Amino acid sequence: MRLFLTAAMLAAALPAMVSAQAAPSSAADTASFRSLYKELVETNTSLSAGSCTLAAERMATRLKAAGYADTDIRLFNTPEHPKEGGLVATLAGTDAKAKAILLLAHIDVVEAKREDWTRDPFVLIEENGYFYGRGTSDDKSQAAIFTDTMVRLKTAGTKLRHPIKLALTCGEETDKAFNGAEWLVKNHKDWIDAEFALNEGSVGTMDKAGKPVALGIQAGEKVYQDFRIEATNPGGHSSRPRPDNAIYALAAALVRIGQYEFPTQMSDTTRGYFTETAKLTGGETGAAMLRLVGNPADTEANAIVSRDATWHSMLRTTCVATRLDGGHANNALAQRAGANINCRMFPGDPIENVRGQLIKAAGDASLSIEASGEISPTPPPPPLTERVYGTAKAVAARHFPGVPMLPAMTTGATDGRYLNAGGIPTYGVPGRFAELDGGGVHGLNERKSVAGLYAERDYLFDLIQTYAR
Amino acid sequence: MTIKALLLAAIIAAPVLAAPAAAQPMRPDQLAFKALYKQLVETNTSLSVGSCTGAAEMLASHLKAAGFDDADITLFSTPDHPKEGGIVAVLTGRDRKAKPILLLGHLDVVEAKRSDWQRDPFVMVEEDGYFYGRGTFDDKAQAAIWTDTLIRYKQSGKAPKRTLKMALTCGEETTYAFNGADWLAKNKADLIAAEFALNEGGGGRYDASAKPVGMGVQVGEKTVQNYTLVATNPGGHASVPRPDNAITDLARALVAVNTHEFPVQFNDTTRGFFTMMSKVAPTPVNMAMTALLANPADAAANAIVSQDPMFHSTLRTTCVSTLVEAGHANNALPQRATANINCRMFPGTDPEMTRADLVAAIADPKVSVSLTPPIRPVAVSPPLNEAVLGPMRRIAAKYFPGVPFGTTMSTGATDAIFLSPIGIPTYGAPGLFGDPDGNGVHGLNERIRVKSVMSGRDYLDELVHALAD
Repeated sequence: MRLFLTAAMLAAALPAMVSAQAAPSSAADTASFRSLYKELVETNTSLSAGSCTLAAERMATRLKAAGYADTDIRLFNTPEHPKEGGLVATLAGTDAKAKAILLLAHIDVVEAKREDWTRDPFVLIEENGYFYGRGTSDDKSQAAIFTDTMVRLKTAGTKLRHPIKLALTCGEETDKAFNGAEWLVKNHKDWIDAEFALNEGSVGTMDKAGKPVALGIQAGEKVYQDFRIEATNPGGHSSRPRPDNAIYALAAALVRIGQYEFPTQMSDTTRGYFTETAKLTGGETGAAMLRLVGNPADTEANAIVSRDATWHSMLRTTCVATRLDGGHANNALAQRAGANINCRMFPGDPIENVRGQLIKAAGDASLSIEASGEISPTPPPPPLTERVYGTAKAVAARHFPGVPMLPAMTTGATDGRYLNAGGIPTYGVPGRFAELDGGGVHGLNERKSVAGLYAERDYLFDLIQTYAR
Repeated sequence: MTIKALLLAAIIAAPVLAAPAAAQPMRPDQLAFKALYKQLVETNTSLSVGSCTGAAEMLASHLKAAGFDDADITLFSTPDHPKEGGIVAVLTGRDRKAKPILLLGHLDVVEAKRSDWQRDPFVMVEEDGYFYGRGTFDDKAQAAIWTDTLIRYKQSGKAPKRTLKMALTCGEETTYAFNGADWLAKNKADLIAAEFALNEGGGGRYDASAKPVGMGVQVGEKTVQNYTLVATNPGGHASVPRPDNAITDLARALVAVNTHEFPVQFNDTTRGFFTMMSKVAPTPVNMAMTALLANPADAAANAIVSQDPMFHSTLRTTCVSTLVEAGHANNALPQRATANINCRMFPGTDPEMTRADLVAAIADPKVSVSLTPPIRPVAVSPPLNEAVLGPMRRIAAKYFPGVPFGTTMSTGATDAIFLSPIGIPTYGAPGLFGDPDGNGVHGLNERIRVKSVMSGRDYLDELVHALAD
């Protein structure tokens, strides 16, 4: 996943937190989990040389060994993308009317070159309290925890009111690749339909000593949308400039768009985020956050909070010029000049509303402004309900006592965008904590804290059962 | 020439229509000239597939047939540009102490596609009182006239008092091509040394009914200088815009360049031009010209005269942005934004001064301004030499009685820019008249009225005699 880090926003000096306490798990099932995790990490699922299909088959074998019937498991892929497959598994609930809880994780990983890494990226190595290997964190830790949860519940014969579904998919890490989550929503939504889905997308924060500072729960993503702004002109020879000029018309509009500030918006998620962050931040900024939660139109509070570029972006739709082109020769007046405006739209903000504001900001009716590239769906953010958020906090109080939980809105790069658009509210589950140095996610020597992984597993096993009861 | 259209007569009210004169049968000397002119037009000299060298050799054979010795003729080309050659011919004068006169023209033509033209661009067709074909106007009429004049001189057996030199070169139409005039100035300065040169750049204007409405001698031209603006920024991810942005910084600079107006300047040429125009322009433009001549700081008068883009450009240095480029990805904040500023400097303007003016106008140290090669020499306007201009005016009164005669400054550049540094003041000769529609110069279906060529030839031949004998 591509993250919107919350760590940077937190003040460094915070009250000491109680360390994560692992709920007891038996040595046997811990070994079983570790074996599953190892098998998944060691199955190369990079786009260039790996196979998600093979990884899905291996997980299916484990599920069947735990007692799942063939009919409970759907392995899928398309003829055009035979190695980019996935699986959906279902654990039936006791109440036919209760909707399912969906556990979503992606099994593909970012490319990793052996010669660049200290260790083989596709061999799970435990060293100095860390598991090393590509995908140890993103996202095979979660895929393994979810699959292991399905195995343990089946093995124990646990009866839960709600069905639990597991979807392991491919293609999350590569923009133009086949995306399994998108494919499921479009082709077999019934396989994955659920009351809500738990996904990657949130990270908590730790201090330098490795103690948890805050948990995160992601609810809602900003929506990526490019716009093209363009000016045209009859042009002519540059030795005789005309009063009107495509480049200048565009430049003037870009200056105005650069000055334009989209209005402050709040969702359940960002209200929750700023309420919790105000406590951690304190002072003038914390007070301004609370004022803004009470009244998003408070311009003075907005000015204070928006000093931070990340908070500024969380409070509104942002649009910024990222590319510029115009003219065809040094000595000719430009006949065309255009720019790409990259917008990150607040969840639920319609494209036409953003376009209308860009047109107004540009202030020049002779320019054209149109959405360009892929037209993104603009689903409303999933509601931060008591059932989802309240339960997550209550269970966290047992596993991570004293650690607050911050709702987070990301910039829109997980598979959650497909599910939210398909009507399945999708949340980035709490439980994981970001390494201060990023943990090598998407980079070299990716790693995952051993203790952190087990704590996350224990928390999620507890949380999922609580949701499903 | 790079800019063909004359400033003249741009806003002169069309006089009462005169009945077009019936075509007169050509004299024997005119038929001989026409054959030479036709052969020159039909020798393709475009950069892509033509050969200036071939055209030069063809003209050399005509000169030799007329009695020129091999020693009088220099054919030149460089090994790197074998097809971009030219010719210098010398007709030695009777008075060895009298300084030579140089007749300059260019052989190359702008590209022309047969498929786009109504007739074959490299076949000279006479139709409806016009010669059609690429180069019929720019610049093969004048090149053929200069060659024809030398041939007639030779055939008459009477040498001029002053030595006459003719240089016909390649590369005038293409900025980055090999330029024969530049090469001669740098490598064969003695061969072309002269007291002054007659070149393209002057001329006259017909109204729609082919009645001459104005004519002029071009004395001086603006120089071209390109500048590069660069704005840089650390950039970052587009989901979290920073307060500063390279594109916005550049856009602000471009708005400043656009808003900046260089001050009104006059030199002898443009003073003469506007004095003449003030007599023929409609009210209130005529009065505004008079006021501006008296006081270049008269803002109200400037506003009226500068409404016409040609007058606006004649009154000052102009700078206009012609190319812009920025950014490297739609989803990344731009790290670099650049623009080309194309300036046409009033004669005598130091490009470093114009750079300083741009820097002051932009007033933002984050945006750098630098000169883009090639850096042209500072244009020095030739003096208003009565020994040259007097005969031009006097003979014009004979051939074109009652037609206003003035001095003009080109807003674009000709090869004259290369002769100025070696001390040859260069004048754009009057004589050839163009139509209000621009005659397809540089465009489609280039054409010139037969009577323009024939009367222009008579005028120029007599002018050369008057100056040289």
